[in-house]
Amino acid sequence: MNNYQWIWSYVKKNKKKVITATLILLANSFFVVIIPILSGRLIDEVIENNQVQLLVPILLAMVGATLIRTVTRYIYQLLYEKVGQDAQFDIRQDMYKKLQELDFDFFNHNRVGDIMARMTGDMDAIRHFVSWVCYNIAECVVWFVVAIIVMMNIDWKLTLGLVAVTPIIFIFTQKMSRAAHPVFLEIRESFSRLNSMVEENISGNRVVKAFSREEYEIEKFNHFNNDYQKRNLDSANVSKKYLPWLDGFAGMLAVITLLLGGLFVIQGSMTIGDLVAFNGFMWLLNMPMRMSGWLINDVQRFNASCVKIRNLLKTESQIRVEERKQTKKISGYVTFKNVSFAFSDDPETQILKNVSFAVRPGQTVGILGETGSGKSTLVNLIARFYDPTEGEVLIDHVNAKEWPVRKLRDQISMVMQDIFLFSNTIEENISFGKPFLNIEQIQRVATIADAHNFIVRMPEGYNTIVGERGVGLSGGQKQRISLARALAKDPSILILDDTTSAVDMETESKIQKELNQLTQDKTTFIIAHRISSVRDADFILVLDKGEVKEQGTHMELVAKKGLYYDVYKRQLGLVEQEEGGATIGP
Amino acid sequence: MARNKFNVDEELETEFNWSHYKRIGAYIKPYKKALFITLLIILTANVAGMLGPFFTKIAIDEIIPDKNIPLLIGLSILFLLSLIVIGICMRYRIQWITRIGQNILKDMRLDIFQHLQKLPFSYFDNRPHGKILIRVVNYINTLSDLLSNGLINLISDIISVIITLIFMFAIDAKLTLYSLALLPILGILVWVIKNMQRKAYQVLSNKQSNMNAYIHESIAGIKITQSFAREDENYEIFDEVSNETRTSWMKAVSIQFLLWPGVQNISVLTTSLIYFVGIRQIGVDVSTGTLVAFIGYVNNFWNPVINMGNFYNALITASAYLERIFETLDVEPDIKDSPKAIQMPTIKGNVTFDHVSFRYEEGKNILNDASFHINSGESIALVGPTGAGKSTIINLLSRFYDVNEGSVKIDDIDVRDVTLKSLRSQMGVMLQDTFVFSGTILDNIRYGKLDATEDEIITAAKIVRADDFIKDLKDGYHTVVEERGSTLSAGQRQLISFARALLANPKILILDEATSSIDTKTEELLQEGITELLKGRTSFIIAHRLSTIKNSSQIFYIDGGRIAEKGTHDELMALKGLYYHLYQSQYDLLKVM
Repeated sequence: MNNYQWIWSYVKKNKKKVITATLILLANSFFVVIIPILSGRLIDEVIENNQVQLLVPILLAMVGATLIRTVTRYIYQLLYEKVGQDAQFDIRQDMYKKLQELDFDFFNHNRVGDIMARMTGDMDAIRHFVSWVCYNIAECVVWFVVAIIVMMNIDWKLTLGLVAVTPIIFIFTQKMSRAAHPVFLEIRESFSRLNSMVEENISGNRVVKAFSREEYEIEKFNHFNNDYQKRNLDSANVSKKYLPWLDGFAGMLAVITLLLGGLFVIQGSMTIGDLVAFNGFMWLLNMPMRMSGWLINDVQRFNASCVKIRNLLKTESQIRVEERKQTKKISGYVTFKNVSFAFSDDPETQILKNVSFAVRPGQTVGILGETGSGKSTLVNLIARFYDPTEGEVLIDHVNAKEWPVRKLRDQISMVMQDIFLFSNTIEENISFGKPFLNIEQIQRVATIADAHNFIVRMPEGYNTIVGERGVGLSGGQKQRISLARALAKDPSILILDDTTSAVDMETESKIQKELNQLTQDKTTFIIAHRISSVRDADFILVLDKGEVKEQGTHMELVAKKGLYYDVYKRQLGLVEQEEGGATIGP
Repeated sequence: MARNKFNVDEELETEFNWSHYKRIGAYIKPYKKALFITLLIILTANVAGMLGPFFTKIAIDEIIPDKNIPLLIGLSILFLLSLIVIGICMRYRIQWITRIGQNILKDMRLDIFQHLQKLPFSYFDNRPHGKILIRVVNYINTLSDLLSNGLINLISDIISVIITLIFMFAIDAKLTLYSLALLPILGILVWVIKNMQRKAYQVLSNKQSNMNAYIHESIAGIKITQSFAREDENYEIFDEVSNETRTSWMKAVSIQFLLWPGVQNISVLTTSLIYFVGIRQIGVDVSTGTLVAFIGYVNNFWNPVINMGNFYNALITASAYLERIFETLDVEPDIKDSPKAIQMPTIKGNVTFDHVSFRYEEGKNILNDASFHINSGESIALVGPTGAGKSTIINLLSRFYDVNEGSVKIDDIDVRDVTLKSLRSQMGVMLQDTFVFSGTILDNIRYGKLDATEDEIITAAKIVRADDFIKDLKDGYHTVVEERGSTLSAGQRQLISFARALLANPKILILDEATSSIDTKTEELLQEGITELLKGRTSFIIAHRLSTIKNSSQIFYIDGGRIAEKGTHDELMALKGLYYHLYQSQYDLLKVM
């Protein structure tokens, strides 16, 4: 499918509007021709032949024709605009939907600024094509055809002489088209890089300031800003190479008419009146040719943006989102059978190696391990943000791949390590997973997460708007709000990835007590570094470089005197040391 | 101003006004000469363009009736030559116009970006980032045509109109006045359309900005959306936001498109009026030839007027974007170098808070008359409940905010008296929210010291124990990470930021929850590594882990915006106050198994 067929698939549903608009455009061309004819008649009949009685009718006809012409043009312009807007709207919806479906892997490797560029600048090039370029091309074609017909009627030989020049123009447009295409692709790429750089600068503004790297950032920006400027000049270079030629050949038509027509008149095969009339319609033939170069630029801009947008739409998520309806509620059995995992871009490095364990509903699993040992990846497999490279993850004894993804995720609540809050009210942030929660329910989960107290102390309480990503809140506050958000969903499986790391231990233990009440029939995973966070779990997995090195209850693992014991000793030791060396033990 | 969110239109501080034109002028000024040259090129092309019809007229009137073939051929050659002149002019015109236009855009974009770098945290915190982004890139792009083609055509159109008017007056003053009779109507029409169009485009730019914000947040927060299976709800919201943009677009263009039919009809009415008046006066005081010529000039007059109308139209459209761009440029940074600011001398590390009070908003003090003094080389742990003001203290120290009362002094110099750059470049701040830029790990650590060698970087990474995991990555230090380091674990990102802060060789090191996601063993190793390094440097640490806090030379317990307790661990334990309670409860939690 080429770009034109593709865009047609979005325009198709407005077929009636397109046809109507095009018919009006065709009818309109009649008035485009009639107005100069009328003014010609006015001079010939009224002024030269002194037929004053014709003055008022001709003037009225002229005014009327203009009125009709302008009103109809206004109508078809708006119709095309509407068609363009509708197409843009639909493509944008498709893009948005696609983005919602794409997997983590995609977002790990595509920059926000680049995606934004596609959603804005590229989208606009497409809108411009449908709502402006298309009807301008149509106008040009119609005028060209009308001009040929009218001119054929006046003198077919001369017309053929002119038409003979058109292949040259055609060759030039083809050449220019080919030259412009890569330049516009470069412009779009450069735009996307510029957008990405600025986006990152805005997101990272705190780090920039903390290191007072403003000048360095400006230097970086200059690089991209200059590149974008340069790419645009490249496009001007293509234009300046071809456009003067196209314009010149269009002008040549008038010279040919003058010379050839003059010779015909001198020969006697054409009257001078015909030559004047012929010349009067010259602009109709000229205009489309002059426009052709500019339109080619627009068409190539459209093509370049199409590539970017269609590439995104073509990207397939590795995690397929099935539309299949499944209403079964998950009870919370989670089984890992010899699961191994590596990221697709680095298949050599195994993040998880042969992990096996089984959890029953109501159980709590603690996960402990060094930085980068695969803890977050392990829980990401449960919610199917990635699929294992080997082995299988079973949810309620069914392979996670068999579950409809959204249904599965709907029953799993995950508090991710990277807290993301939306720039919205706290209330709406908490009810994110369950939009129709009432305020009592929101306050209840906030209380469990020990967030209620600090929320009500804020100037606008639950209606306080937090900045993007929750800036302005402390780490502990963000963690507690996102915990409340996870709890609001009332999931079957609750996953807490380092959720209380920025909360003091006393608050943590308070939260844990509340959680224990709430999660009696749920499966809970807790990733943490503090022994105090995982101590009460039904069993604890100790990960080391992707492998489960130890597995058991707190007591069992302490008795084992392995990795877990080592961490325990270190954390407790610091306390013990101070208190005068009490014995370490369970 | 309250914080803004995606579905709320931003208020506009100052509407587009005449002073804005002056500012646009300032951007154009450096290219005055280029503009002038371009104008000459265009005028040359216009004169050459007028030759064609002139040659045609001569040929038809005289040469062809005379059957003078050689002259006809000669004239055709002249015609051809005029086309070549036009072609050459066009070539340079395209080149110059694009250069001028793109340069102006580049300058403007640089200005707004540079200004953004000066704006405080609060500017970025108070609105969705998508709304800032759209101003720097998309809004400025919309001006491209207006400031290059539009502007130059405007000038050449004005010249055409003036010349044509002179010719018209010279031919027949009375008829000229008739042909200007309808201009007031045109004026009213333009004025009415302008007002409607202004409002419509302001609405549109707001809706576009809202949509941009929503798209931006949707992408940034995609992982949360997917994990909450909230795609359908988001899709519905997007549908609404996107539809609002479409509706306001249609409304805006349906007004904008009215101008052309209006001008066109008035132009034809004027022509008719001239015919009507002119023909009745033929033989009285107007000759046929005069009338025909005059009509030709009337057309010459209206074409540039229509173009000027289009320019005005585009200007009105652009003003909705321009006012937003200028608004951003006009935001005065709260925190900036005072005119008398001096360079901060090399910091020794004595820090004094002298009766400091601070509030983010009136009537709610975060810090309340806090005073303390720290000697160079001390390590200070800040503990206390959430919201007590711990982060605020360190934010004031780096002058991310200014105190409301009292003063913050480093080595007895008020931080407000020195340049921000000289102050901050001597502080190593590791923020709660780690941020990793897209690029290699090497470059990310290097951000702390731009001229650091690879060895220096690796040494820093070794000290904070980041070397262990970096070595194991696919391309080691040259592994490319994505924006925010999404392929790294949170602990790994903290280690990288730590190395970055350390590489800056700061005189004062500030760690805000710097090790919360790092495992105990690595943290211990890391602490061993930095103990040596911290000797002689002042450091501030906010942490919840006892291990991190205990060995500090002083512990401040912050409560209710005041330093409630301060002293060494032993002193505070002996005091049996708030710290003792905190410590004891944590100890109990660990011990009770």
